[in-house]
Amino acid sequence: MTFPFTMRVPFRLSVCGAVALLLLVGGMRGAAAAAARASRTHTVVIEGTAFTPATLKIAAGDTVQWVNKDPFPHTATATGGAFDSKTIDVEKSWKVTLAKKGDYDYVCALHPTMKARLIVE
Amino acid sequence: MKVSAIVVAGSLLLSVGAMAQSVTDPQIAAIVVTANQVDIDAGKLAKSMASSGDVKKFAEQMITDHTGVNKSAVDLVTKLKVTPEDNATSQSLKDGGEKNLANLKTLKGAAFDKAYIDHEVAYHEQVLAAIDKTLIPSASNADLKALLVKVRPAFVAHLEHAKHIQASLK
Repeated sequence: MTFPFTMRVPFRLSVCGAVALLLLVGGMRGAAAAAARASRTHTVVIEGTAFTPATLKIAAGDTVQWVNKDPFPHTATATGGAFDSKTIDVEKSWKVTLAKKGDYDYVCALHPTMKARLIVE
Repeated sequence: MKVSAIVVAGSLLLSVGAMAQSVTDPQIAAIVVTANQVDIDAGKLAKSMASSGDVKKFAEQMITDHTGVNKSAVDLVTKLKVTPEDNATSQSLKDGGEKNLANLKTLKGAAFDKAYIDHEVAYHEQVLAAIDKTLIPSASNADLKALLVKVRPAFVAHLEHAKHIQASLK
């Protein structure tokens, strides 16, 4: 009775260890990938009373910065309320990091013709 | 009130119609600066006189945006060493602006708001027509043309904004 028991303990331990190691490596890879994504910053230029690009696809955790190159203020305001830059003055910028996947339609609260979308995948 | 708004709009229309088929860069500079200044002046009056919060906010934005456009226009013509040259169109714009102010000063409350916004709709429509038909086609300096192209969408946005407020006032 003791023989198979002693045999089984190391076996179980080794299996557990291997699984743990796999999980650890997998976890590190996942963390590294997430860290690489989080470090990405995308730029949307505001010029000519328009957002360029008008549609931007990013990964969850990425940052988007808006740079105002017009001679008057603008805003980047999500219609669903997810973010609102408030006034972005001339030659100023504002950024937001979006962790949650989804489509984010946004406008300039000052200029109703300015409409754009962020797609977070 | 309605009649005076139509008269003012009509004088704007005349000023655009009176434009020569082609204008020089110094004339364009004067037209741009005058067009912006006229709307800044109307905005300043509306900022203190308007009774609706939306109208007041719109007036404040007109002051900010047109001041910004004028600053880039003045910076550019200074850089290009272009001296703005008064002409029939810039003079008509100035006269139209003065008539508008004189008319607005006789009004109060909701009547003021309506007259100011009605004029803003007419003004932005006419300035857009001038930008498209005369200013952009006539501009000979590439930087001046680029500036006109860059600020044009702001006039479209202002027009849409003004029309939206106009509909809400009725």
